[in-house]
Amino acid sequence: MMDNFEGRLASAASTIATLKAAVGQVIVGQAAVVDQVMWGLVAGGHILLEGAPGLGKTLLVRTLAQCLDLRFSRIQFTPDLMPSDVVGTNVLVMDPAQRAAGSMFALQRGPIFGQIVLADEINRATPKTQSALLEAMAEHAVTIAGTRHVLEEPFFVLATENPIEMEGTYPLPEAQLDRFLLKVLVPNPSEDEMCEVLTRTTGRGQAAPPRVLGKDGVLSLRAMCREVAIAEPVVRYAAKLVRASDPATPEAPDLVKKAIRYGAAVRGAQSLVLAAKAVALCEGRAHVSFADIAKVARPALRHRIIRSFEGEADGVTTDATIDALLAAVPTRPANVEREGARA
Amino acid sequence: MTNADRKPTFARFHPLFERWARRVRARLALRHALTGAAIGLALATIPAAVAWKTRHAPLRLAAPIVGVVGAAVGLVIARRRRWSDSDVALYLDERLDTQETIATAVEMRNDAELDDPARAVVVTSAAEALSSRDAKRARPRTLRPIHALLPLATLALVVIARAPLPAAPVVGSPPGTAKVQIAQADGLEKVAKVAQMDARDEAQRERLQKIAKDAEKLKEDLAKGLEKRDAQDRISRLEDALAQERLSLGDGEKRAGLESAVGKLEENELTKKAGKALGDHDLESMDKEMEKIANQREKADRELAKKSLEDARDAAKKNGAPDVAKALDDEKNLMDRRGKRAEMLRDLAKGMDKAGESNDELKNQAESLDRDGSDAAAKKLAESMGKALEKMTPEERKRLADKLRQMAKQNPGGKSGDPQELKDLADDLATPEGQKKLEDELKDLAKDDTESDEAKRQQELDDAQNGAQDTERELGKQGQQGQQGQQGQQGQQGQQGQQGQQGQQGQQGQQGQQGQQGQQGQQGQPGGTPIPIPGDGPGTGGPGSHHDPGTGNHTGKTNPVDAQSLKSRAKGPMNKGAAMPGSVSTFSQGKAGGTANTRGTGDLRVVGPSEVDGVNRSDVPEEYRDQVRQYFQP
Repeated sequence: MMDNFEGRLASAASTIATLKAAVGQVIVGQAAVVDQVMWGLVAGGHILLEGAPGLGKTLLVRTLAQCLDLRFSRIQFTPDLMPSDVVGTNVLVMDPAQRAAGSMFALQRGPIFGQIVLADEINRATPKTQSALLEAMAEHAVTIAGTRHVLEEPFFVLATENPIEMEGTYPLPEAQLDRFLLKVLVPNPSEDEMCEVLTRTTGRGQAAPPRVLGKDGVLSLRAMCREVAIAEPVVRYAAKLVRASDPATPEAPDLVKKAIRYGAAVRGAQSLVLAAKAVALCEGRAHVSFADIAKVARPALRHRIIRSFEGEADGVTTDATIDALLAAVPTRPANVEREGARA
Repeated sequence: MTNADRKPTFARFHPLFERWARRVRARLALRHALTGAAIGLALATIPAAVAWKTRHAPLRLAAPIVGVVGAAVGLVIARRRRWSDSDVALYLDERLDTQETIATAVEMRNDAELDDPARAVVVTSAAEALSSRDAKRARPRTLRPIHALLPLATLALVVIARAPLPAAPVVGSPPGTAKVQIAQADGLEKVAKVAQMDARDEAQRERLQKIAKDAEKLKEDLAKGLEKRDAQDRISRLEDALAQERLSLGDGEKRAGLESAVGKLEENELTKKAGKALGDHDLESMDKEMEKIANQREKADRELAKKSLEDARDAAKKNGAPDVAKALDDEKNLMDRRGKRAEMLRDLAKGMDKAGESNDELKNQAESLDRDGSDAAAKKLAESMGKALEKMTPEERKRLADKLRQMAKQNPGGKSGDPQELKDLADDLATPEGQKKLEDELKDLAKDDTESDEAKRQQELDDAQNGAQDTERELGKQGQQGQQGQQGQQGQQGQQGQQGQQGQQGQQGQQGQQGQQGQQGQQGQPGGTPIPIPGDGPGTGGPGSHHDPGTGNHTGKTNPVDAQSLKSRAKGPMNKGAAMPGSVSTFSQGKAGGTANTRGTGDLRVVGPSEVDGVNRSDVPEEYRDQVRQYFQP
């Protein structure tokens, strides 16, 4: 069994690397974004992609769906989108045979029944429609006309939002934001990357990426992610980071006390550890390090920290606050930290 | 490979980690010990320096113990702050850059985690990391900047330990604390002899024996060495005791008897001086006076003086002073003996002169006896006469005897000599046996001790007092020598500055004394407050008076005081008990360690606060108190 784990660990790392390479065939650059999406996939969490239009968010999700042998569905969120448009509805059965069998209504499944769901421009839908995603994201199940329908695993929601065009949008409530494991910021490509994008997208066409992983593969990765070991000091570090993000705690750095109104909570700490485990798995390690926690701190916490009026007025970003947290919270006990610095 | 197969790997990690952890902990403990030792030694330099400064040489060598204690404390602290396995693992992870593999493995090494699928992988990775990495990378730094104190403090301690001790500080000892030592205090031997004195009574004998015992003890202590002030104090006490003893005749409740005896003696012009001497407790002078009277040629005077002595004796006895009465009785008996001796010598001298057997020496000595009236002159005359008689031939002796018989016949009334005595002398000279008897009698007279017992006592007490004063002077000399010795040492140590300071202090002290003297001089304005004396004339002031240039009539005199009425008013003897405050009975001022507050032994110039207005508490009648107060005004 142990031998299997070592092999599976190597295999998982290899598979993820292959998957990233496959995605890389379509997506130019954005390695960090791809990595973070991979972490979300492996950890079994949902991803919120935020970036300006045209940066390849939708393309990234679509490419990922192509690389994975999973059912892909896309929901374009608009203000007139109804919850039933997301989760589905019961429709009257017109087929006499079916009616004869006693089924007057048939379930018309919505796009949420996909395995990889792209919720494009999620902040454009009304809160009512956004909330339709809540149950599905949290419980991997939907209730339609009083009947609960379990969604097929793996269930992976990737939502995108545009931070620029805020007019006519409905910013996601904190409760819903909390459902996302990571919030990934999609940056503008560099000059070289842009050149590569231009070359690829203005040519004759593009070959489809290979299918790398199927349903079982993904579930296996997610299971392995849970098996990754984490030492108590590392867990404690994650907990300290999250606690320090609360301005009411004495451990909070000055910037947090000044610019933050609410810090992350338990779900944020869970996300940190889970995402860190995914990072370790992606790197072929069987255990989590402090660096893994630090690596995932920004995407895992940035959407869980609510700035205060003063923070917003001063233009203090949540990422800057998280950096301050990482700088202020020691990884190791003070004596070990001191000794390590001295030696 | 199963978990069971992996066991060797688990078994490998544990000892590997323990070895690394031991190294890390040992170096940390060593550092704590070094830190403790460095701080301890650095702190030890302070007491070591103090010990050096205060010349406690052995303590300097004990200072490094503080360093050892510091190291021990450091080890204790290291033990208390001992890193846990988790801490060590985290440190190793950081130093070996193993991404918390070791920390995770340390947590997973327990058998409880055996089913964890990641356990084997993590533990194996950790074991491989520990076995493959360079141990030097994970060594905690042992030396820290504070450890620089270790050699510096050690060096400082070595320097302090080897440095010669500084010169002993000159500590000015409190006055009188210097040790004095007198191997043979002859003066105190004189004091100790008072135990052999013929005491007046049992009480005096006990007092004298106590004085002698104290003197002996002081002598022994002085031979061993004693603080000067202590020695001075004890000598002063001895002197006080001797002075008190000297004044003990007619002292206290017997004072009235003494005063009455003095009064009786002073009534007679012949015995006036003797009375005054008795009043002053100067029994030697009194004896001298009585000696003169006894050796006088005039028998009537002697009889008068004897009568006064008898009256004084009776008065003393009557007024409760038996010791004074006894002393006066002794004096009267002595006077008889002296008188008879002088009379015999004069008769014999006269007889020899008339017989032509005298010589110039005898004549001169006879004149000397008449002139001085002293026992010494009488003794000298007796001795010379004895020798002259020895040299006389039988014819000369016969002639002398005849002359003496003739003188007896010519002087039947005994106006100038006792006729019977003259006959006896003539009879003695007539026979060789008588002649021999007379010679022996003259020799005895020459050696006769005619001094009174009280005079002898006083003389012996005086000797004792002189002895005590000699010892006191000797102490003073030793003190000076001691000071000079100290100054000599200071000079050797090159502390001339301090000598200079002492010199200045000395000068200041002298100046201070001069100042005091000056004040005293101012206070002692010549004449003082005049005593108003009621009299016939204007009487504007006595000698030294300010307010009167002396042009008035100074013939005033006080009214006679009726002694009987004075006594009746006082309702008993004056000053029953101790002497009246302010009375002068000694010649010296108070001494260091002396009994300054003893009433009646002070000097008028120095009076205690309680003595001011003491007359108000005395038995002096009110109408005389103003005069007494002004007279004794300090």
